[in-house]
Amino acid sequence: MKTSFISSLAAQNSMRLTIQRSQVEIQSLQKEVVTGRYDDIGKSLGASVSRSVTLNREVVRLETMRDSNSLVTQRLSASQLALGEMSTQAQDLLESFISVNSSNDKNRLAVAEQSIRNALSSFTSAANTSSNGEYLMGGINTDTKPLTEYQAAGSPAKAAFDAAFLGHFGFAQTNPAAAGITVADMDDFLTNTLEPMFTGAQWNADWSTASDSNVTSRISRTELVESNANANEEGVRKFALAAVMGLELLSAPISDEVRSFVNSRAIQHAGEAVNKIDNIRSKLGISENRVSKANTALEAQEKIFKLHLADLEGVDAYEASTRMKSLLAQVETSYQLTARLQQLSLTNFL
Amino acid sequence: MSLTSAIRTAQSALSNNSTQTSVISRNISNASNPDYNRRSAILATTTFGATVVTTERSQNQTLLRQGLQGMSASTGQQTLLSGLERLKSIFGGNDYETSPASMMATFRDTLSTFAVKPSEATLAESAIADANQLATGLRSASKAVQATRLDADRQIALDVNKLNSLLADFKKANDAVVGGTRSGRDVNQQMDERERILKQIVEIVPVSINGRESNDLALYTAGGLTLFETIPRTVTFTATPGFDANVNGNQVFIDGQPLEPGQGAATSGQGSLQAHLQVRDQFAPKLQSQLDEMARGLIAAFAETDQSATPTLPDMPGLFTWSGGTVPAAGALVPGLASSIIVNPALVTASGGNPMLLRDGGINGAAYSANPAGNASFSAQLDSYVQAFDSDMTFDGAAGLGTSASLSGYAADSLGWLEQSRSDAAASSETKDAFVYRTMEAYSNLTGVSLDEEMSLLLELEQSYKASARIISAVDEMLQALLAAAR
Repeated sequence: MKTSFISSLAAQNSMRLTIQRSQVEIQSLQKEVVTGRYDDIGKSLGASVSRSVTLNREVVRLETMRDSNSLVTQRLSASQLALGEMSTQAQDLLESFISVNSSNDKNRLAVAEQSIRNALSSFTSAANTSSNGEYLMGGINTDTKPLTEYQAAGSPAKAAFDAAFLGHFGFAQTNPAAAGITVADMDDFLTNTLEPMFTGAQWNADWSTASDSNVTSRISRTELVESNANANEEGVRKFALAAVMGLELLSAPISDEVRSFVNSRAIQHAGEAVNKIDNIRSKLGISENRVSKANTALEAQEKIFKLHLADLEGVDAYEASTRMKSLLAQVETSYQLTARLQQLSLTNFL
Repeated sequence: MSLTSAIRTAQSALSNNSTQTSVISRNISNASNPDYNRRSAILATTTFGATVVTTERSQNQTLLRQGLQGMSASTGQQTLLSGLERLKSIFGGNDYETSPASMMATFRDTLSTFAVKPSEATLAESAIADANQLATGLRSASKAVQATRLDADRQIALDVNKLNSLLADFKKANDAVVGGTRSGRDVNQQMDERERILKQIVEIVPVSINGRESNDLALYTAGGLTLFETIPRTVTFTATPGFDANVNGNQVFIDGQPLEPGQGAATSGQGSLQAHLQVRDQFAPKLQSQLDEMARGLIAAFAETDQSATPTLPDMPGLFTWSGGTVPAAGALVPGLASSIIVNPALVTASGGNPMLLRDGGINGAAYSANPAGNASFSAQLDSYVQAFDSDMTFDGAAGLGTSASLSGYAADSLGWLEQSRSDAAASSETKDAFVYRTMEAYSNLTGVSLDEEMSLLLELEQSYKASARIISAVDEMLQALLAAAR
């Protein structure tokens, strides 16, 4: 007959198992205390792992977006700088025209022509600014110089103007016969021949290789902004038109009446150029503003996501360490008991 | 009553004593043998005191059955859990570094950086490199899933062999018990042996025990298939040499009938066979079809469309392509797609391709080019790719994750599904372990040996030995006194 209902094997096993289980738990708790996350996220969260993975990914994505937004910001401010310079040159151009308004003085005309020349060349070089290997005024075509140098040798724009003038009047603009051109003739030439060369498709053949569409950049999950401008904008065309009129016609041997007509038309175009270029600047300014707002929003979102993540996969370090302490005490007790119980055998007393 | 009978009684007491001592010493020597049931010598009264009639083996059928059933369930659950853990390990540690979900996110982030600066060749290269990593990740995950199936299949073959030899052993042990019982021999040793074999059998298949006369046992699986009845039934299984998404493993036949696999993550299956079948035929194939759907989603999201004003050409694979070379139909699973997905060589510099085609399109001919002018900062196509990760698409419901989700959401859901199963399996394993542990502890307490008890019994025997010896010497003295008087 069995009276004790405890077997030596079961007693030993139970002590061993208690220790073994506690040790496993201590290991995982130790990891949790150190990292502040669940030791085995999948086991603790189950299906919510999908949310944890998504949130983790979102945090990285937001960081990437903020990084790439700095590229956009850089492109925008470089574009602003170039456009600022272009606007200044347009202003100079306008002033040059105004300075010779209804004046026929050779010297003043020569001075004006020189300053128009300078303005055009500075304007062109500003429009051809490149930053980070991109031509900023190229629209999406950022790897070719957007604006051709009018004053360079063999410029197609210059050749086109000469051909147009010759085609219309039958002689070159430097020909003394130009003195015979009437205001009506000149008006016809400007309105129907010269201006379409700048507003129409020929602009892209003679002057600009830029694309009409600007670079669009995603600055947040939902927002796309244009992050540069292009040399096909009306302001650039008007500036070029006014500058060409100034260079080619102002000092041409034309009658005073025609010159003053040309001058007033050029003033009109230069004025529009200033205006339109400033428009582009303010448009880019809006983009800049949106980027900085988007950055603020991204930062806030990131904080929220991180908070969620901490809620989801975080472990209360205090609780974990308390549990750890009590477990350690338990294991110690278990060791002591094991040792004591092993000694506690009837054999020792016989 | 005579002095002689007193001596005889004392003699029989001594003989009982020695039998009892031998039983106790056997008990002591088996104190730490988990398969040993405690014996006790049963005494019966006779004319001359008492005699040892039988050595009784302590047993408790109810607890044993419960324990065996628990062992079966716990082994099954643990087998399933380790299968699921292996599947999970394909996707890395706590951060799921090698999961398609993480690699997709990395690729998408590189792609969105590229979209902000589409003119930069190095960004194109790194986007292609990340795409390549994603494709490689899908391929190797798919390979690992199939390797898991193959291993499960091999394990099934091993288990079946072991089960057959265990059943043969069981027959020997059972025959010995039945034969011994019929001829009235002590069969305790054989019963211990039979129980030991039974404990091993239940780790492979769930067993329900039917006791019959002469201590004979018949074994059936929990589903009712005969494992052993007088003779062992054969368990047959043909291993499969290699697995891919289109290969199904063979069934296990017990006595000609198929053994059904377990169901669910907290599995209904008991014993390792049912759990291995479950890993091989349910979890791994489902994961494979989810990987296939992700691969199909990637091919579809990056497919090129005819850019002409009136499109006539079919959609063609863009950045990602596969052995089929077409864009698979929407919402229809293509088994094994994930194992052949690659980055289109037309985009890989090392194979003479041009990574910038990712920005421009036109991999499949000029009609597919979205940027025929070759503008360096054309970002619309790249941006649309980035957006494609988050826009809903149609998936095959057969993969078990619903039919409509975004690509990145689907990849995350797949992880969620796997981890939910693993978490359920782990929780269930803990419960089943605790159950079997408690039951076996109770069983061991009832049938096992307690050293202290044996020692105290030994003390008792010592005393009764002394007493018997005393009786003999007292009777001896009395007889001598009697003889001296008669002389």
